[in-house]
Amino acid sequence: MSFWKLAAMVRVMALDLWRDRGALLMTFLLPPLVFLIFSSVFAGTTGDDVQPKLAVADIARTADSKRLAAALAVSREVRVDIVSPATAEEVRRRVKAGHADAGLVIRADPASADKPFLIIADPARAVAAPLAQARVQQVLANALPDVTLRRTITQLEPALGGFTEEQVENADSAALLMRENPTHDDGGFFEREAIANAKTGGGVIAYYAGAVMILFALFSAMHGALGLMDEQSSGVADRLLAGTAGMGPVVGGKFLFLTGQGVVQALAIFATAQAVYGVAVVQHAALWLPTTLAASACAAGLALGLVSVCRTRGQAQMLSTFAILVLAAIGGSMVPRFLMPAWLQTAGWLTPHAWTIDAYQAILWRDAGVGAVYKAWCVLAAVGLLGLAVAQVLARRLRR
Amino acid sequence: MTSVPKSSSPVIQVTGAVHAYGGKPALGGVDLALNAGEIYALLGPNGAGKTTLIRAICGRIRPDGGTVLLKGRDPARVPAARAGLGLVPQEIALYPNLTVAENVQTFAALAEVPRGDVAGAVARALELTRTADRAHVPIKHLSGGYKRRANIAAAIVHAPSLLILDEPTVGVDLDAREALDAVIRGLRDLGVAVLMTTHDLDQAGGLADRVGFLRDGRLVLEGDPHGLIAEAFGDRMEILVQMTEEVDAVGEIRLAALGLDRTRRATVWSRLDSDGYAAAADLDKRLRQVGLTPREIRVREPSLANLFSLVADRKLAA
Repeated sequence: MSFWKLAAMVRVMALDLWRDRGALLMTFLLPPLVFLIFSSVFAGTTGDDVQPKLAVADIARTADSKRLAAALAVSREVRVDIVSPATAEEVRRRVKAGHADAGLVIRADPASADKPFLIIADPARAVAAPLAQARVQQVLANALPDVTLRRTITQLEPALGGFTEEQVENADSAALLMRENPTHDDGGFFEREAIANAKTGGGVIAYYAGAVMILFALFSAMHGALGLMDEQSSGVADRLLAGTAGMGPVVGGKFLFLTGQGVVQALAIFATAQAVYGVAVVQHAALWLPTTLAASACAAGLALGLVSVCRTRGQAQMLSTFAILVLAAIGGSMVPRFLMPAWLQTAGWLTPHAWTIDAYQAILWRDAGVGAVYKAWCVLAAVGLLGLAVAQVLARRLRR
Repeated sequence: MTSVPKSSSPVIQVTGAVHAYGGKPALGGVDLALNAGEIYALLGPNGAGKTTLIRAICGRIRPDGGTVLLKGRDPARVPAARAGLGLVPQEIALYPNLTVAENVQTFAALAEVPRGDVAGAVARALELTRTADRAHVPIKHLSGGYKRRANIAAAIVHAPSLLILDEPTVGVDLDAREALDAVIRGLRDLGVAVLMTTHDLDQAGGLADRVGFLRDGRLVLEGDPHGLIAEAFGDRMEILVQMTEEVDAVGEIRLAALGLDRTRRATVWSRLDSDGYAAAADLDKRLRQVGLTPREIRVREPSLANLFSLVADRKLAA
C-alpha cells in the first residue's frame, strides 16, 4: 500500500470534513466546550466549594436565633432560603420537593440547654444532613461564639452545683468580648493540614481533560468510520475492488486521518485546560504527545474494527452508539471512576477510557515518568492496531 | 488515453462460465468475447445473471466452472489483470463534498497513475467525459447528467482498455442520455472495449455494436442489434393502438381477438404485421365496428424492446 494512496484517502477525509462546517464545529469546538462544562461541574465535588442549599425556619425568634439566621444568610458556607411561613412543615415541604438540600428549624434559643436545632433531610441525599449540620456548627462557631460559651455554661451548671456571682460576671464579660471580637475557633477536636505542594482543583481538571478527550476521539472516530458503510452503499467500494487498489488504502487512510483528528481534538481540549485552569500540559509535552497518539490510534482502530464487523449502516450506527455510551460510562468519561463501586472500577480497565484517563492523570497531575504510563501506551496502541487489522481483513472479505 | 487499434485477441474472454449461490444456479455456461473498440450491451430481466457475470469479470467471484480471462489473465487470481479495467457502478460512486477534479485525482492515485502524470490524466478524463467545465464544482451540486459523466471520468482516469458500465442511464433525462451516449461512443472510438448492462433498450439498440440476452444464467441470443431485429421480425412492423381509457373485460377479449397484446402501459396494445400501414387502417375500421374507438394508432419499426419481450416471454431462442 503506497504512501500516495493513503495520502489520497487522508485528503478525501480532510476535504470532506472541511466542507461540512457543522461536522467541523462538532469535531473541534464541542470537545473543549463539553470539557469546560464537565470540569465546572465536577471541580466542586471534591473540595470546599460545595454549598448546600438550606431551607431555614426560625420558630424561636429570640435575639440569638435571629443572629444565627442572619449569619447563615450571609455565610459563604451555605445558600440559605428563609422560608415563609416559618414553620417546620414548610421546611419539610421544601426539602421533600427538592427545593433545598436540607432544612434547619431553629426550635429554641441557640444558647438553651435543650436541642435547639432540627435538621430535616431527604434520605435519598445521605450526605446532605451531616453536611448541613457541619455547616451550621461552623457558622455558630464563627459568628456566634458567645452563644456557644453560654450554652456550655448552661450545660455545666447543674453538674457544678451553680456558679458564684463573680463567675457569672466573668463569663458574661468573656461572652461579650467574644461577640465583639470572634476568634474564629470552632472549639472542635480537629485541626486540618493540607498536603505540602499540593495543587488545588487540578486533579479533577486533568481527569476530565483525559475523559473528554477519549470520549470525543471515539465519538468522532465512529462517525468517520461509518464512512466505510457509505463507501459500500455508494459503489465506491465496488469501483475500488474492481481495480488493483482494493479497500486497503481506504481503511488505512481513514485510520491515519482519524488518529490525526483525535490529536487535534486533544490539542483543543488540553489547550483549554492549560489556558483556563493552568494544567501544565506544555511542560509535560514529551509524555503528553505519545499518550495522545496512542489514545487517538486506539479510538481510530477500535471504531474501524467495530464498523467493519457490521453489514449495514443501521447496524453500525447502533453498535457505535452502544460502544460510545457503554465504554464511556464504565471507563469513567461520564462519572469519575473513584465514585464507582470496586467491581466497576476493575471492569473499567477493559475500556480504553480508563487507561487514557489514568495515563493523563499520571503525567499531568502526579508528575509521573514513562515508567508509570508505558503500560497504558502499549495497551492503547495494541487495541488500535488490532482494530485496524480486523478492519483490513474484513475489507478484503468485501471482495466476495 | 490513446487510440488503440482493434486487435484480434479479445479483451474479455468468458468460456463456459458456471456459478451458483448456495446451490441456486446464477450462470449456466456463459460464453462471451469482447474486443477492443466494441460496445457490448448485456440485456436481461432481473435475476438473469448479469450482476454475477459482471462480478466474475471484475474478479470479485471465481466461477465454479469455466474461465474468465482479461487479456489472457484471470482477474480473480492475478490482481494486475484488473489494472486495465474501469468500473462505473450504477450509483454515483464519488465523494459528494469533493469536486469533480478532486474525485478524479483521488481515483487516479488509487489506480496507481504515476504522480507526475496525474494532472494530465485528470484533464484528459474530464475532457473525454465533457466535464471539464464543472471541474471545480462539488459533485453534490451537479445535475444528474454531469454526475453520470463524472462517474465515468473517475473510471477512465487510468486509461483502462476495458470499461464496464452498470446501468449508466438510470435517472437521467433524454438530453443527458444523448450526451452520455456520445461519451461512450468517443471512448469506443479510442479503442476501449465497453461492456454495459442496461434496462434502457432504446439506448442499447442505438449504441451497442453487439447485444447479448441473458436468461436464467444463459446467453440465449447475441449479435448486432439491427441484424437480430431483422432476423426476428423480417418485414413486419409494430402497430401500437392507444385507447382513450382502460378497456373492460369484454373489450380485452375483443382486442385480443384482433391479435393485439397488452403492453406495459394498460391503455396501449400492440401487434406485429407485415403490411404495417394498410393493416393499421384495417385495424382501425374493425375496432370501430366492435365499438372500440382508438385514440391513436401508430406504426413503427420493431425495436430491441420487441425482441426483448420475445426473449423474456420465451417466444424466441428458448
